[in-house]
Amino acid sequence: MTKPNTGELDPQDSAGSEIKSYTIGFTASLFLTVGAFAAAMSDLPLRWKIACICAAAILQIVVHMRNFLHLSFSGGQSREDLLLVLFSATLLVIMAGGTWYIMSDLSGRMHDTDAAMHEVQPR
Amino acid sequence: MSQQTSPIFGNLDWSVTPYTDLLRDVNSSTIVGAGAASVLVLGALFGIVLLTWMRWWGPLYRNWLTSADAKKIGIMYIALALVMLARGIIEGFVMRAHQATALGTLAQQESGLVAPDHFAQLFSTHGTIMIFFVAMPLLIGLINFVLPQQLGARDMAFPVLNQVSLGLTAVGAALVMISLLIGKFGTGGWTMYPPYTGLDFSPGEGVDYWLWAILISGMGSTLTGMNFAVTIFKSRAPGMHFMRMPLFCWTSLCVAIMLIYAMPALTVSSAMLALDRYADFHFFTNDAGGNMMNYANIFWMFGHPEVYILILPAFGVFSEISSTYSGKRLYGYTSLVIASMSIAVISFTVWLHHFFTMGQSAGVNIAFGIATMIIGIPTGVKIYDWMATMWRGRIRVTAPIVYLTGFFLLFVIGGLSGIILANPSIDYQVHNSTFLVAHFHNVIIPGVLYGMLAGIHYWFPKAFGFRLSERWGRRTAFLFVGGFVFTFMPLYVLGLMGMPRRSPTFQNPDFMPWMYIAAFGGVLMLCALASLAWTFWTSYRNRDALAVPGGDPWNGSTLEWSTPAPVPEWTFPRIPHVTARDDWGECKRAGDPWRAPDEYRDIEMPANTAHGLLIAGASFGLGFAMVWHIWWLAVLSFLAIPAIVALRAMRVIEPRIVKAAEVELADRRFRQQVASFAPATRADEETERNRGVPDLSEFAG
Amino acid sequence: MSETNLYPGLNLGDGHGEAHDQAETTVFGFWVFLMSDLIIFGILFASYASYLDPIGMAGGPGPQDLFDFKSVAIQTAFLLVGGAAYGDVSLAVKYDQGRGKVAAWLLLCAALGAGFLFFEVKDFITQAGKGGTPQVSGWLSSYWTLVGLHGVHVLSGILWIFAMIAQIATRGLDGVVKVRLSMLGVFWHFLDLIWVGIFSLVFLVPLA
Repeated sequence: MTKPNTGELDPQDSAGSEIKSYTIGFTASLFLTVGAFAAAMSDLPLRWKIACICAAAILQIVVHMRNFLHLSFSGGQSREDLLLVLFSATLLVIMAGGTWYIMSDLSGRMHDTDAAMHEVQPR
Repeated sequence: MSQQTSPIFGNLDWSVTPYTDLLRDVNSSTIVGAGAASVLVLGALFGIVLLTWMRWWGPLYRNWLTSADAKKIGIMYIALALVMLARGIIEGFVMRAHQATALGTLAQQESGLVAPDHFAQLFSTHGTIMIFFVAMPLLIGLINFVLPQQLGARDMAFPVLNQVSLGLTAVGAALVMISLLIGKFGTGGWTMYPPYTGLDFSPGEGVDYWLWAILISGMGSTLTGMNFAVTIFKSRAPGMHFMRMPLFCWTSLCVAIMLIYAMPALTVSSAMLALDRYADFHFFTNDAGGNMMNYANIFWMFGHPEVYILILPAFGVFSEISSTYSGKRLYGYTSLVIASMSIAVISFTVWLHHFFTMGQSAGVNIAFGIATMIIGIPTGVKIYDWMATMWRGRIRVTAPIVYLTGFFLLFVIGGLSGIILANPSIDYQVHNSTFLVAHFHNVIIPGVLYGMLAGIHYWFPKAFGFRLSERWGRRTAFLFVGGFVFTFMPLYVLGLMGMPRRSPTFQNPDFMPWMYIAAFGGVLMLCALASLAWTFWTSYRNRDALAVPGGDPWNGSTLEWSTPAPVPEWTFPRIPHVTARDDWGECKRAGDPWRAPDEYRDIEMPANTAHGLLIAGASFGLGFAMVWHIWWLAVLSFLAIPAIVALRAMRVIEPRIVKAAEVELADRRFRQQVASFAPATRADEETERNRGVPDLSEFAG
Repeated sequence: MSETNLYPGLNLGDGHGEAHDQAETTVFGFWVFLMSDLIIFGILFASYASYLDPIGMAGGPGPQDLFDFKSVAIQTAFLLVGGAAYGDVSLAVKYDQGRGKVAAWLLLCAALGAGFLFFEVKDFITQAGKGGTPQVSGWLSSYWTLVGLHGVHVLSGILWIFAMIAQIATRGLDGVVKVRLSMLGVFWHFLDLIWVGIFSLVFLVPLA
C-alpha cells in the first residue's frame, strides 16, 4: 500500500483512470462479442468458426477479469486472488475436460456416434 | 403411502411409520424397524425431559445454540457426529448380525434377521451417515475448534456463517434420523446411483430423503470450506507465515480447498437427480437421451476428493500427536506440507477408479489407474515422516498413540489393498465384492475414525478443562483396533471367495465361518462404542482429579497450549506475535513462556444470534416438505431463507465487547494459577500431578 | 490505478478506512464462494457438451430448431451494458457521490438485468412452444438447467440490488453496506463472465 489508510478521500483522487479502464473493457468486450457472433454466422469452415468463438470467449473472460473485476495480472496484493482464479481454472479443466474425455469415450464405445453425427450434421 | 397427494399433508399419512409395518406383520425385520424408531422417539423424549428437569433449555440456547464462537460450534459438530456415530455403528452391527444369519438354501433363499429391503435401507443409511454425518462433522468440528487457536486467530473469518453451516449440517442429519420414524430411507446405497434411484424404479420418499439431506448439508460444507480457507488466508496472527503454520492447519487448508472445489460436484449430481425425480427431466433416465453414467462420473468427481477431505485432517492430527507424545520436533515438516498439498491436487484426477468397470476403453482406465497409484506416494511419505518423528523419541503410550500405532499397522494394509484395486484388470475381478468393502473400511476406520478419536482425546482438555481417562481411552482404542480387525479382515477373504457386497442373502455355506468372525468383530465394535461413552462419563465424574487448568497437559509446542483449559471464549488475551514455527515451543526454549501481555485491550467478539437456528429451521422445513411433496410448506420455507437473510442485513449489528478489565482479571488469575502448580514431568503425565503445567526442562519438541 | 488491489472488484480504496480492510476479508471470501459456483457451472457446461449429440437429443428438437441468434445477441447486450453500469455504481460509492446516485445506477443495473431476463424467459416460452421442454430429452434437460441456473442467478442479483437499495435507504452508505455493494459488484460481473461462456458454447458453437 502506498498511502496511509486515513479514512479520508484524497482530493487529488479522480475516477479518470478507472473510467478509462471500464471504457476499454466495455469496448473490447463489445468488439469480441460482435466478433464471436460474426464468426458464427460467417462462411468459414466449422473448425475455424469454433476456434474463433472459443478464442473470443477466452479473450473476453480475460478482459472482464482485468477491467471489470480488477484482478491485476502483475504482482501486488491481488496475487492471491489471481492464484485462486488460476487454480480454479486448472481444476475446471481437470473436471470439465475429464468429463468430456470419459463421456465421449463411453459414448463412442456404445454407439457409432460418428455415423450418427453425420446424419444430422447440418448444412 | 397414499395414492394421491393431499394439498395440506402431501404424501404424509398414518401408514408411513414402522409401527404400521409391525402391526401388519410381526417378524424380526419389522421388530428391528419399530425398535429403531422407538429408540429415536424415546431418545428425543429423554433429551427433552432431561433438559426441562435440569432447566438446561435457557443455558443451551444462550451458551450454545446461539453462539457464534468457532470453538463451541466445533464442539457441537462433534457432539452431533458422536450421536450419529452411535447409530452408524449399531446399524453396522445389525448388518453383521443379519449376514451371519443370512445363509439361505435353494429351497428357501431369503433368510436372516431383516428383510432384504430393510437390509438395503441399512447399508444406505449406514454409508450416508458415516460419511456425511459422522466423518464430516467430526473433522469439521475438530478444525473449527483447533484451527483458530493454532493460527492465533480470535475466531473464524465469518462466525455467523459458521453457525449457519452447522445448522445446515444438523438439518441433513435430522432428515436422515427422522426417516427412521416417518417413511423409509432410500435403498440405493450411499451413492444412490440412477437409474435405480430414478422415479421409475424408486418411487416414494426414500431417495428424496437422501437428496435433501445431501443438498442441504452439502451447502453447509461448501460454506464451511470457504470459511476455513478465508480464515487461513486472512486471519493468521502476525508473523504466522504459511511455513510456520502447524501441520494441522496445512491439512485444514487442503480440506478447505477440496470442500470448495469438490462439493459443487455433489450438489450438481444430486440436483440433477432431484430434477429427474421431481420435474421429469432426463439426465440419468434410461430413455430420452438420459445417460446414467454421467451420474457416476459427476458423483465421484466429488466422491474421490471427499475421501481425502476425510483423511487429511486425520493426517494433521497424527502429525501433531506423533510429535507431542514423542517429545520430538515433527520430522520432515516441509515434505509433509508438500505431500498434503500434492494429495489435495492429485485427488481431483483419480475419480474414474470408482467405475473402472463401466465400459470405457482401456486407455482411459489406465490413465486414471496410474494417477491412483501416484497418489500413494505422498501418502507413503507421510507414514515415513511420522515414524521418523517417533524414532528414538521418548514415547508415552497414551490413547492417541495407541490409535496412531493401530493406524500405522492397519492403514498400510488398507492402502496396499487400494493400490491393488488401482489396477483396472484386478479391479475387474474383485469390484463390487466385499473385498472392496474391506478396503475402504480399512482406510476410513483406521484413518478417519482413529485420527478423529485421537484428536478428540488430545484436545479434549483444551475444551473442557479436564483430561479423558487414559486407561479407558486406551481400552477404547484397543477395542476399536480389535473390532476393526475381526470385522473387516474376513471381508477381504469373503470378497476373494466371490461374495458380492450388499448381499441380503447367499447360499454358499463356506462363507459362514468368516461371517461369524465378522459378527464377533461387530460385537467388539459395539463394545468399543460403549467403552467410548464410558470414557466420557467416567472422566466427567473424575473431572476434579483430571483437571488441567494450566492448559498444557502434554507439553505441547503449538499456540493452542499457551492458553488456559478450558480455553476462554476470547482464546488469547492478546493476539500473539509469532516468531517461529511451533511458537509456543520456542517460548518454552527461551525461558518463561507464561509471561503476561504488556497491556490488555477491549476484545470484540461476535454477538450471539439466532440466525443459524432460523436458517436451519427454514431449511428443515424445505427439506421435509420436499420429501413429502408438501408444496405450500416448501415454498414458504424456501422464501423464508432469503427473507431471514435480508432482514438481518437491514439491521446494524454491533459486536459484543469484552472489557479489558475482565480479560485482565481472568488472565492474571490464570498466570497466578500456573505459577502455583508444581510442574509435572513426563512420568507424571497420567497422574493427578498433571495440572496442565509441564516440566519445561523436559521439553524437546 | 495507483493502489494495489486487496480483493477482486473495484477496490474501495484507502479513502474508506475500515470498510476497505473489512472488504479484503469479506469480498475475498465471497470470491472463493463464487469459485465454487464456477465449478457448478463448469460441470453443467461439460454435461451440456456430453448430451449434445443425436443420442442426447433423442429425436427431440435440436439447437437449429430452437435457438434464436437475434434474441441471444439482445440478451448479451443487456448483460454487457449492465456490467458496465455496475462500474458506475462502484465508482459512485468509491468517490462518495451520494446515496441518490448510487441508488440510481443500481436501479439501472436492475432494469438491464430485468431486460435480459425478459428476453430469456420469452425464449424459453417460445422454445417450449416448439416442443423444446426439458422433459423431452437429456440435451434439453441440460440446456434448461444450465441456462436456467444462470437466469436464476441474474434474478437473485436483481433481488439483491433491491435489498441493497433498501439498506442504503435505511442505513445509509455505511461501511458494511459499502462492503456488500463491492460483493454485489463481483457477483454481477461474475454473471457476465458465465454468460460469455453460455453464449459462446451453448448457443454459438452448436449453431456454427
